[in-house]
Amino acid sequence: MKKAPLVVIPLVLFSMLVIFLFQGLFSDPRELDSQVKGKPLPEFTLPDLMQPDTTYTPDSLKGEVTIVNVWGVWCVTCAVEMPYLTQLKDELGVKFVGLYFDQDLDPDFGTKTLTRVQQEVTSMLRRYGNPYAFNIFDVYRDTSLDLGVTGAPEHFVLDANGVIRMHHIGDINERVWQNKVGPLYQQLVAEANSETNIVVDSDTDDTGRVEE
Amino acid sequence: MKRLFVLLNLIIAFSAFSAEDNFAFDTPAQRAQFLSLTAELRCPMCQNQNIADSDAMIAHDMRRKVYALLKEGKSEQEVIDFMKARYGDFVHYQPPVTIATMWLWAAPVLFVIFALLFVVRRKSSTAPQDIKAKLAKADALLEQEKE
Repeated sequence: MKKAPLVVIPLVLFSMLVIFLFQGLFSDPRELDSQVKGKPLPEFTLPDLMQPDTTYTPDSLKGEVTIVNVWGVWCVTCAVEMPYLTQLKDELGVKFVGLYFDQDLDPDFGTKTLTRVQQEVTSMLRRYGNPYAFNIFDVYRDTSLDLGVTGAPEHFVLDANGVIRMHHIGDINERVWQNKVGPLYQQLVAEANSETNIVVDSDTDDTGRVEE
Repeated sequence: MKRLFVLLNLIIAFSAFSAEDNFAFDTPAQRAQFLSLTAELRCPMCQNQNIADSDAMIAHDMRRKVYALLKEGKSEQEVIDFMKARYGDFVHYQPPVTIATMWLWAAPVLFVIFALLFVVRRKSSTAPQDIKAKLAKADALLEQEKE
């Protein structure tokens, strides 16, 4: 009568503990809430990896849905995903921009020359395919820090206005593309198209011309 | 003796664990600030290591950034906020009190309160019964004695 509820308490506590620990089995401790999602890219002025005279700013990545791929030649997983990224570029026309940073190029005690880095990059891209429209060279790894990058590879999906819509830590493979990145990419492309269509519509209104 | 020697070697090996950089500080106070900050900021790449202890590249870069920010004259809180803005609350070993983390403090207190209530209630409800039973027993004994 009165004793029954008390006996149940340990059982309830125990099952709560089991549920809590069971969830822990499948949670990924590496998964962090990205702080940059929904924000535009942080300010930067960085050189092109291959032509250091060309510089890029966040504005360089506006106007088109872009996937920024954080990578380096020292990163094994990057080499693994590279052929698939190239395939995505060739088949779906996905625009990838590399945010390259080098591990051995210590900003304080540089041990590697830029030419050496360029050589390594060229040979790696020749071997695994080149998915990149261009590569931004994050010399001091400051921009990576501002983006909350913890390693490589990581990906930032930008919409046409240059706003970060997804931060994906880890590689993009077929499964990740189909379940996570791909759907958002298609949605953003559709959004971008509808926006430009509106612009085109207003243009036709102004000039009175009709689209073919 | 041999065992002791091995143990001693292990201790020496482990004590040389924390990663080293060469940073020059303006004042001893700044150095102390740097050491305490790198001890309480957590490396986002490695599980459960502070950035003072870790040799991951990200930890190295974060130490460099902490150093640069301190040199700029930023306060400790400003440096922590800078890192939190990039890596979230995860990066600091002192979790802020939110609805989700409140339970870390509340749960033990609640447990103690409920346990105390439970003990007190059980005592007060069982004690009189005990005494009554004992009195009854004593009465019975007295009755027996009388006979």
